[in-house]
Amino acid sequence: MSAPVLSLRGVSKNFGGVRALVDVDVDVREHEVLAVVGDNGAGKSTLAGVIAGAFRPDGGEVLLDGAPVVLDSPAAARTHGIAAVFQQLALVDDLDVVENVFLGQETLRGPFLDEIAMEREAWGLLDQLAATVPSVRQPVRTLSGGQRQVVAVARALLGAPRVLVLDEPTAALGVRQTAEVLNLIEKLRERGHAVVLISHQAGDLQAVADRIVVLRLGRVHGEFSGDTSYEDLLAAMTGAVRPARPGGPARAASGPEPRERRAGGTGAVHR
Amino acid sequence: MSAVQQRGSLTQIELAGVTGLSPATVSNIVKELTGAGVLHTSPSTRSGRRALQVTLARNLGLVAGVHFGSRSMRVALADASMRVLADQRMPLAPDHRADTGLQRAALLVAEMVASVDAAPDELLAVGVGVPAPVDVRAGSIATVGMMRGWDGVVVPEVLEAELGAPVTVDNDANLGALAETRFGAAVGHDAVAYLRVSHGVGGGLVLGGRVVHGRAGVAGEIGHVTIDENGPVCRCGNRGCLEMYVGAGVLLSMLSESRGHLTLRDVIARAQEGDPGCRRVLFDAGQHLGVAAANLCNLVDPEIVVVGGQLAEAGEALLGPLRTALEQRTVPSTAGPVQVVASELGSAAEVRGALAVALDLARVSGSLGVSA
Ligand SMILES: Nc1ncnc2c1ncn2[C@@H]1O[C@H](COP(=O)(O)OP(=O)(O)OP(=O)(O)O)[C@@H](O)[C@H]1O
Ligand SMILES: [Mg+2]
Ligand SMILES: [Zn+2]
Repeated sequence: MSAPVLSLRGVSKNFGGVRALVDVDVDVREHEVLAVVGDNGAGKSTLAGVIAGAFRPDGGEVLLDGAPVVLDSPAAARTHGIAAVFQQLALVDDLDVVENVFLGQETLRGPFLDEIAMEREAWGLLDQLAATVPSVRQPVRTLSGGQRQVVAVARALLGAPRVLVLDEPTAALGVRQTAEVLNLIEKLRERGHAVVLISHQAGDLQAVADRIVVLRLGRVHGEFSGDTSYEDLLAAMTGAVRPARPGGPARAASGPEPRERRAGGTGAVHR
Repeated sequence: MSAVQQRGSLTQIELAGVTGLSPATVSNIVKELTGAGVLHTSPSTRSGRRALQVTLARNLGLVAGVHFGSRSMRVALADASMRVLADQRMPLAPDHRADTGLQRAALLVAEMVASVDAAPDELLAVGVGVPAPVDVRAGSIATVGMMRGWDGVVVPEVLEAELGAPVTVDNDANLGALAETRFGAAVGHDAVAYLRVSHGVGGGLVLGGRVVHGRAGVAGEIGHVTIDENGPVCRCGNRGCLEMYVGAGVLLSMLSESRGHLTLRDVIARAQEGDPGCRRVLFDAGQHLGVAAANLCNLVDPEIVVVGGQLAEAGEALLGPLRTALEQRTVPSTAGPVQVVASELGSAAEVRGALAVALDLARVSGSLGVSA
């Protein structure tokens, strides 16, 4: 098994009184889809933000190839090969596809942007994604949800990042576009990217994940292999399973104790 | 008519060959049916010679094919000449259930029909393939516990309610076998054995152009041929089935200790790059498949064995040892060893078969507007 590209060790993040992440350990490897699942408010987007430099953790550290790094902005994360597509795509509706792909990333291209070179590179990225975008000179406002998602991914792929974070990429998509995005994630994995896929739709995650981390109330509530059953994931998401110790397997909360109690004659104890 | 329908599209000369009619007669019939708006002709230059390509006119409607695999689903739309108009794959969770799976399939079909600018009522019929034995008449899986959550589900009932078109369902390897026989590697063969080696292992037999279903749909289930009667217990409930030696779960778990979580695709790619462990796993799988296929060949004596499913993408790394084991265990024939080839339609075989049975269904239910 390859060494992790990126690791979070004991990462915590608070927003005022809200503990969005608590003592989180996560490893991200190349050629792998790490899925993060959890209920609304579980801390998934905060985790994405920490990995992609949008949030500085209050505690713990971020390791890149085993060495501590400070990712104090998305731009800093990008220079370290980490890119993200956030839940809000942050595309500019009235700009066309090429302008959106290069938006805010002029630093990657030097001060004088050659329109033709940019257009060529945009097509190149979209081709890699086998995307069906009618024209790169069309305002993104005219594109479908799936096509907009592809443009956002193309933007993230600029500069060939090693780690790609996708926060809820299938939310608000039809089934056909969801299929496109899932195929795209498989392709990114095959090409060797480390993909961090965030969703609260367990079915979509299970379709493409190598590993699944369950977040609950900001804590890691278990790490599972990609072929874990839906019931086990749901149990971890809803808290029917105790948080696992780092590296250890998740344990069912309804283990020996309740059974012993029942055997002891208390009868109707149900959890 | 049915000759054009079965093959999708062919030249007038090929049509004469297939039907046994004279070229002049064929030419007259084609002219007449084109005038009636049933057929469509277009000039082509197949194999260097100019010819008239004959297809069914598109206004005869659409059919859909749906293939549920263990880890993905594939949906295709074709017109009445078997021209594929749309094709979409979707990865699925390992334990996808009938209710969500069928609902997604129905949504996907509906969205795809809309994407080719067709109205919902242009959908004439739907063919469905599932990776378990199917009682075709009942429209349900013919055994219990093979696909979680699918037991007792009457697939046509569910999909017909969603899509408003007649639905037929069959085992996916049976559909792959049919497609390879009609359009792929086994065209022109009368007795065809098809092995589908993917996440699970399935098989299909086509004799005289017809899929063999047997009593209740279990015919051809080569994945559950016994390799070792004391072997591990299979999902079907028996011991030491072929699938327990070459199913994806087994192959991948043999590698996970040393190589982490891989997909079948990863194993094939790594084997091609020279990874000895991945090559070994494919070699052993090929041998096991050859042993099982030999038993089948001794019983049926097919003219050709077509190997499909994702693992067939490994090519000779799998087929080489398969052939050797097969030849060692079949009764030597004066006709020489049976031909063993990789699928020609690849990952599209099953969905093409689903389209073909959908078109057959549209024809028998009369919705094509012409009888065969
Ligand atoms: N910028 C912020 N300021 C204040 N509180 C925040 C901020 N971002 C997140 N939070 C809070 O932190 C907690 C975790 O939020 P986060 O967005 O990470 O959850 P999530 O798992 O992504 O949820 P969802 O499924 O709704 O996207 C929530 O209680 C949220 O209200
Ligand atoms: Mg979120
Ligand atoms: Zn079995």
